[in-house]
Amino acid sequence: MEKKYAVYVCKGCGIAESVDADKVIAAASSHTKVPKDKFKSHDILCGPEGVAMIKADMAGEGVNAITIAACSWRTKSDEFNFPGCVVSRANIRELVAWSQPPQTEETQALAADYLIMGIVRTQKAELPEPGILPDLNDTIMVIGGGVTGLTAALEAAKAGYDVALVEKEAELGGWAAKLYKEAPGQYPYEKLNEPTVFAKIKEAEANPKIKIFKSTSVEKTDGQPGLYDVTLASNGNTEQIKAGSIVLAAGWKPYDATKLSHLGYGLANVVTNVEFEEIAKKGKITRADGKPARKVAFIQCAGSRDAEHLPYCSHFCCSTSLKQARYVREANGDAMAMIFYKDIRTPGQTELFYKNMQNDPGVMLTKAEVKGVAEEGGKLFVHATDTLLGSAIKVEADMVVLATGIVPATAPFQTWWDGMTEAGKKGDAERNKFTEENPRPDGILNLGYKQGPEVPSLEGGFGFVDSNFLCFQYETRRTGIYAAGCVRQPMTINEAAEDATGAAMKAIQVLDHIAKGQAVHPRAWDLTYPDPMMTRCTSCKRCTEECPFGAIDEDAKGTPFYKINRCRRCGTCMGACPERIVSFKDYNVDMIGSMIKSMEVPEEGLRVICLACENDAYPALDTVGVRKKLKLNPAVRFIPVRCLGSTNLVWVADAFSRGVDGLLLLGCKFGEDYQCHFIKGSELASYRFSKVQETLDRLQLEAERCQMMQVGIDDYSKLPDIIEAFVKKIEDDLGPNPFKGF
Amino acid sequence: MSEKVLSPDLGFVKDVMKSGGESLKKCYQCATCSVVCNVTPEDNPFPRKEMIQAQWGLKDQLFGNPDIWLCHQCSDCTAYCPRGAKPGEVLNAIRKLSIRKYSKPGFLAAMAGDPRFLIFLLAVPIVILLAILGSLGHLSNIPRGENGEIVYARWMPVPFIDMTFGAAAAFAVLVFVFGIVSYWKDLVRNVDTRRINPSNEIGLGLGAAIKDIFAHRKFQNCNETKARGTSHMFVFYAFIGLAITTTWAIFYLYGHEFLGIQKFAIFNFGESPYPLSDPMKWLANISAIALIVGILMVISNRIKNKEKLGGGSYYDWLLILVIAGIALTGLLSELFRLGNMAGVAYPTYFTHLVLIFFLFAYAPFSKMAHMVYRGTAMVFGKITGRA
Repeated sequence: MEKKYAVYVCKGCGIAESVDADKVIAAASSHTKVPKDKFKSHDILCGPEGVAMIKADMAGEGVNAITIAACSWRTKSDEFNFPGCVVSRANIRELVAWSQPPQTEETQALAADYLIMGIVRTQKAELPEPGILPDLNDTIMVIGGGVTGLTAALEAAKAGYDVALVEKEAELGGWAAKLYKEAPGQYPYEKLNEPTVFAKIKEAEANPKIKIFKSTSVEKTDGQPGLYDVTLASNGNTEQIKAGSIVLAAGWKPYDATKLSHLGYGLANVVTNVEFEEIAKKGKITRADGKPARKVAFIQCAGSRDAEHLPYCSHFCCSTSLKQARYVREANGDAMAMIFYKDIRTPGQTELFYKNMQNDPGVMLTKAEVKGVAEEGGKLFVHATDTLLGSAIKVEADMVVLATGIVPATAPFQTWWDGMTEAGKKGDAERNKFTEENPRPDGILNLGYKQGPEVPSLEGGFGFVDSNFLCFQYETRRTGIYAAGCVRQPMTINEAAEDATGAAMKAIQVLDHIAKGQAVHPRAWDLTYPDPMMTRCTSCKRCTEECPFGAIDEDAKGTPFYKINRCRRCGTCMGACPERIVSFKDYNVDMIGSMIKSMEVPEEGLRVICLACENDAYPALDTVGVRKKLKLNPAVRFIPVRCLGSTNLVWVADAFSRGVDGLLLLGCKFGEDYQCHFIKGSELASYRFSKVQETLDRLQLEAERCQMMQVGIDDYSKLPDIIEAFVKKIEDDLGPNPFKGF
Repeated sequence: MSEKVLSPDLGFVKDVMKSGGESLKKCYQCATCSVVCNVTPEDNPFPRKEMIQAQWGLKDQLFGNPDIWLCHQCSDCTAYCPRGAKPGEVLNAIRKLSIRKYSKPGFLAAMAGDPRFLIFLLAVPIVILLAILGSLGHLSNIPRGENGEIVYARWMPVPFIDMTFGAAAAFAVLVFVFGIVSYWKDLVRNVDTRRINPSNEIGLGLGAAIKDIFAHRKFQNCNETKARGTSHMFVFYAFIGLAITTTWAIFYLYGHEFLGIQKFAIFNFGESPYPLSDPMKWLANISAIALIVGILMVISNRIKNKEKLGGGSYYDWLLILVIAGIALTGLLSELFRLGNMAGVAYPTYFTHLVLIFFLFAYAPFSKMAHMVYRGTAMVFGKITGRA
């Protein structure tokens, strides 16, 4: 495409009061060599007249490469949407007019630099062409036939998609089918419900769009979204199916109660909550000797919220015990249910069920640290301290129910995998020793991915699938595979059904997007994709190692190649690549490097470049402008990046060789409570930059000149001070870059 | 700390709920009640712990503890309870059950707390009094005074009343004595007697408790029901006044009959009725009016606070209405006698006697017993530093 350039400068929203548009245009024109007559300014560029002016230029002069200096690129995307044109935006409203003192030389220079960088961006960008793979399949495979899986299958089928529902057991229904009753899920949270899962089983079995595979497990999953080749194994036979996306609803297992002998497990009449359901299902609450249980003690958090066992709360055990207390009370009006809890956790409206149960005279509740359950003279006694009853207590019980928590189905393999990885760090011998001593647990997906056969869990996440519970539920670190239900976090039957609906929606969305060559969350609009120049690839495999989504596999020779439908377009590979061969049409190493090199670096005074993550840091900067009262240091030039993971180390050299005095990187929080939209991007950037500081040391440039910080979108009020402190440190402690002027 | 063996009792929980504590199970142990209570000691305060003990049906822990009686039911706790558990009402219900435990025979306490038995309880004095009147032939023939005026003492001779009521009172006292002894033993069992033996300090505790009771000091700490201090004080002193008058009248009658004391000055030794100029009559009438005023204030306060602080149970209202009845029938009997309205005077006087018998004979089983058990708890509380 031959580019015909045009540059538009808006003067509205206070820009004209802040800077002299003509001078900005003059500066940009002389610096970029774009002729002055290609520049136009307008009072309200986003208004109908402004937009009409641009469209007239497109139609009249064939303009197709547009740079707009106005508000932040995060706003007015509809107004400045010009199909068929490369459009770049220079943010001179939020980051200049609204956050700088008006009509100063520095403000003027800042606006000019942003416009120059915008023009360079336009020069380096190309129009995206969607990369659509052929022969896409749009069957949704659901793994797990419990409440979650059934709901996901039904929802997907109702939306018109074919579903393959794979269940390991001989029957559908999962744990929900083993219950005597369900805890109430609707107002007034009073009556117990008959198990709801059977209706779902019936509905799924009757639905022609749902193909059910019982007693079946997934032996192998190869491919990528739209093109999964799945090998199913059932009673020694295998079968190949194709799928477009996957809902992982493999559910959970109860915590192994044999580890709870201190709570009496193993003694007669000490049972788990799962076993108690079976007793209740028989119709009578009886002891092992057949006598009715009149005094039933429920011990909450049995092996949960306990560093020795499961450190987390399993979320539903409190309502389960309250429900089972109702079994006890309904079976016998003279029976008592005594509940010993750490604290009752009945989230949301379930609180009403707790209140209802509490009102039952035969339900006795106390906070307690249960010290043990022991047999004494043929009777069971619960021993507890720290109770609301004022002292250490001992209570006789006919039967003790341990409210055990859940272990996600993904945990056994993840634990093994982590152990093996850890052992592998000490060498192959250690790894082999580990694998000999610890047999490999069955996987669920058995992915043919370079980065491992299962969806990763968060470090310290107890084997639950890594799926940011706040910002992007269902998303896993494997595009096209969406986790729902108790593999994600402990939840109730109702919550699992809701979760399944959400995951089904994501599974549908990915099929829709890959069919258009579009990315999925969090760059769902993006038509670009990484396009490496493979002739220069050295097969160093950094990209395959670092891709947070396992999008890059290796061929037999060890050469990386992209499974593009797995890619989320974060650019982490672009940042990782030492050969700098990974490019997107509108985002590449050369583009950002050229933008850095294009700006004026003054002989006097400081110049700092800040690469800011588009997802959190840059919006926070915009908010600084929107608040208007906050001011940003005028020496800093902000450049948005897709993710801090995409920052290539060559940009550091680009900046410092130009005489820039400092480089600040603003990325998302990483670690256990990460906020990185690409999960690993900011963490990888941090790792990378810990290495670059060694290089800077060798260049005799102070390591402190380059710094990375973690900020959240809500940190806008702190940002001006953070930036000010960084600039001041350079000014006071380090002085100007010695390479300045070379 | 040694382990306490708990014996949860569902029957007791149900009893508390039936006795006016139906909100018991709502308590979720936030302890707002103990924080707002101005009567509780700071150490191990009530009523939070009583609420969970009652929820678990731990009756022995509740009964063998002075705290349920140290509570004066200000109802500050009830007003501030975020869950509507009404600790004031619950403790009141527990007190009722405590009376049932210590005032033997227990069936009488059970009857006193159950509206179904009211008719039987009333029948006892009615039958006794009718039997007396019948045996004297006074049911058909009502003897009048010398000038044809109404003289209740001629109809129902005072010695008969004294015998009957004296016996009822003696029964009540006996029950109380056994009740106090048994309660005291339970209280002492739960303290470390090596540190302090409450039984050796009774004199000390009694003095301090009486001071508090006469000054109504505990009531003054109430916020929500401050007015109750005044109404209770009216009723309390009216009862003392009426007790003095009764003794005084006995003295007039038997002093004249057995000691031969004659009228002198304004003191009318001899048979009733006594003229209004007699100082005993002044005290009697003032006390009666105080009782009416006091009990009306009690009723009005209770009605006013019903929504916020709980309306009280049958058990509470029975005592209130009996006292109100006694005061009203007493005063009306006097007025009808003075007005010579025989048609209403005799039935009113009869009712008055029935109600007084009711109050005396059933005192250990009705809410009237609170004076004795709360008194005991306050003495114990003074000794152990909880009151």
